[in-house]
Amino acid sequence: MTTLRDELRLLRHGRNWRGRARVPRSAQRWRLPDDGDDFPTAWARTPALGALRHVLQHGVLKPVVWSQVRPVVYGREYLDSVRGPAVFVANHSSHLDTPVILGALPRRITENLAVGAAADYFFDSRAIAAATTLLFNAFPVERRGSRRGRSLAAKLVDEGWSLLLYPEGSRTVDGWLTAFKLGTAQLCAMKRVPAVPIALRGTFAAMPRGRRWPRPGRPRVTVRIGRPLHIGADETVPEFRARLVRAVATLWAEDDLGWYRALRAAADDVLALPAGSRSALPTTASGQPAEEGDMAAWRRVWEATRPPANDGPRQVWTD
Amino acid sequence: MGRPGFVLDVDERTPPLLMHQGEGFRLERLPLGSQVIYPPESLPGIVNLDGAIRHALAHPHGSDPLPQLLRRGMRLTIVFDDLSLPLPPMRTPDVRQRVIEQVLELAAAAGVDDVELIAANSLHRRMTPAELKRTVGERVFRAFYPDHLRNHDAEDPANLVHLGTTPHGEDVEINRRATESDLIVYVNITLTAMSGGSKSVCVGLASYASLRHHHNVHTLRHSCSFNDPSSSAMHHSYDRMADVIGGHVPVFTIETTLNNEPFPAALRFLTRREWEWNLTDQASYLAVKRGNDLASPKLRRRIWQGTEAPYGVTGVHAGAPSQVHPHTLAAVHRQQLTEVSGQADVALFGLPYICPYNVNSIMNPILVMSLGLGYFFNLYRGKPIVRQGGVAIFYHPMPPEFHPVHHPSYIDFYELLAETTDPVMLETKYEKQFATDPWYTHLYRTSYAYHGVHPFYMWYWGAHAMQHLDDVIFVGGNRSSTARLGFRAASSLADALELASDTVGRNPQISYLHAPPLVLADVR
Repeated sequence: MTTLRDELRLLRHGRNWRGRARVPRSAQRWRLPDDGDDFPTAWARTPALGALRHVLQHGVLKPVVWSQVRPVVYGREYLDSVRGPAVFVANHSSHLDTPVILGALPRRITENLAVGAAADYFFDSRAIAAATTLLFNAFPVERRGSRRGRSLAAKLVDEGWSLLLYPEGSRTVDGWLTAFKLGTAQLCAMKRVPAVPIALRGTFAAMPRGRRWPRPGRPRVTVRIGRPLHIGADETVPEFRARLVRAVATLWAEDDLGWYRALRAAADDVLALPAGSRSALPTTASGQPAEEGDMAAWRRVWEATRPPANDGPRQVWTD
Repeated sequence: MGRPGFVLDVDERTPPLLMHQGEGFRLERLPLGSQVIYPPESLPGIVNLDGAIRHALAHPHGSDPLPQLLRRGMRLTIVFDDLSLPLPPMRTPDVRQRVIEQVLELAAAAGVDDVELIAANSLHRRMTPAELKRTVGERVFRAFYPDHLRNHDAEDPANLVHLGTTPHGEDVEINRRATESDLIVYVNITLTAMSGGSKSVCVGLASYASLRHHHNVHTLRHSCSFNDPSSSAMHHSYDRMADVIGGHVPVFTIETTLNNEPFPAALRFLTRREWEWNLTDQASYLAVKRGNDLASPKLRRRIWQGTEAPYGVTGVHAGAPSQVHPHTLAAVHRQQLTEVSGQADVALFGLPYICPYNVNSIMNPILVMSLGLGYFFNLYRGKPIVRQGGVAIFYHPMPPEFHPVHHPSYIDFYELLAETTDPVMLETKYEKQFATDPWYTHLYRTSYAYHGVHPFYMWYWGAHAMQHLDDVIFVGGNRSSTARLGFRAASSLADALELASDTVGRNPQISYLHAPPLVLADVR
């Protein structure tokens, strides 16, 4: 007969302090309908809590993150033209992404920035939801089910907030870029706000899924911010989404190719881009698009965690 | 409307999953990538059940309405499924009581005096008066017991009639009263797709001479599965026999189907998906689990056997058996069918405390085998859940315990297994001896014993699985009884998979049939 302790341990396995388990991925489609009660987040957007958040972000979070990884930020100058709400669009491979981006953006942006966070992950437990909301000014985004697409995002833009969204919907499992969902492009089209592409490299290597703290050695992380993109008058939402993916992929490739060659690769349409369920690594260190198809899982992770070839200053022109 | 059944891929988010294990249960962490076949959620029961029964009797399939079939001076025989259905026994009033009462009200209104009620227990043990009363209700019991409410006796030559043979040479011998009636009304509960239809009369009221034509190793090995009547040689035999019976006496059948609510509210966690357990479910699990583990075996058995299922009725269909049964099967499939893609190398089954033959009794090792390799293995349509040459892992303690009153021939059969476990060998060498043993026959007729041949049938029930599988392992199984049955015992899932690795390698595809509640895997 098992002991009570063993029994409790087994029962608690995979459940949070409230006794709730995350829905297995293959059961997401059949999850129980939501009761419609979103975790309230408006309290975190008051000036007083905004001031507290600024202290927490810049007094605690950023020093801690910067002590564990070595972020290098490019393209901050492109943000000069951003006035009013914008949607910051980044690839997502690690829980480090949000702290690194918040630390990389100027204060005038971050003090007016709300972060979309997975409702089923960050808002499952009230304690985690409260902490996430306070620290990141997060709001819940439904990724699946009937309430998908009905988040606060549009309302926040109307209220003048900029948003940080991860249109891949979840952290990538192998560090490769996965296809963007349509919601972000839809939001930009609907609200006529610019999208600012951001590419993060190195966060997957530093703290992938499953790790709770960055690996030792202050690994290098690059944050590349691109020019704001506006949806064209005749451009459809899927076309705008494709442009967003291309912009992020181009910024991603800069680490391997340098700025100009990345632009050239994008212009020549030789960057590997994700589509449908197929993920992609836009380039490898060799400058060639990564292989597609049935590459072994370890090789995908291997490529995604390849240390940057050039750890020096920004390359404008390369050999 | 409940959610449909689905196949879960075990990932890192999946909490430990519930596994039945005889008169107990446990949580088990399955290897990542395992598949878990969940049944559809329970469908709502019919709110106005009496209205649905009335409607079914008045608007039958392929028959005149029942009131038009009843007339003064006729001989009416009402036959009903015995205590092997449903499992666990349903909370009273049993749906059979509600149907029988309405049939009798119509018969009384038509002036029918000659009415007999017969429990279709075939070679099962007789139902006790208390069990009969529980099934048909107080009012019917008082009015008809003991002279006109009785058990079928398959060993009473005076009350059996040989109706003829099928084109395949199968003897059809059933209850005399039924054959000499002007109308048989059969009241059925179809819990699984194997029940109902032609099976009802030609098995429930048959004798050994008739049953041996389909309850044998050859037929069962060609019933793939016996829960898929169109692919079941056993059901084809039933159909042929039903044609013979139908030529002698009209049968009006009333088939009912149940939802997936086998456990009372206090055990709700047994039917909920584990990641949806709230704190109440977890507290219930812990309390029931600890209480169950600490209880004496006797008390534990009494508690489990006292469990009544709050089943809801999902369908009532009446009329000619061949016309009714497709509607019944559709209702069963609606409640139990889950599509599964591909076969596994290893199948896991958590066997519960009850099977059709240990209601108010003890599940002995032979019944465990029958439940596992017979009933659970055959919960498929299309292809078996586990591939040919795969491994089945069952969870059951399999104590070598027997009920001396209910299962006397099982005790002797268990001794035979020391000599051979080959179903064909047992069938050819010993079946007739057990089937005609006068002491077993005497106990079957006058006590509450299963027929002498019954353990053989239980063994044949697993013949298809034994032929299909390369290895059978019982987690937590008693080593002596497991070995006697020709299987292997393991103390944990990890050990079982280690044993299985000889057969299926170190990275087998694993499927776990998450039942009960019942699920029928539609394997593509």
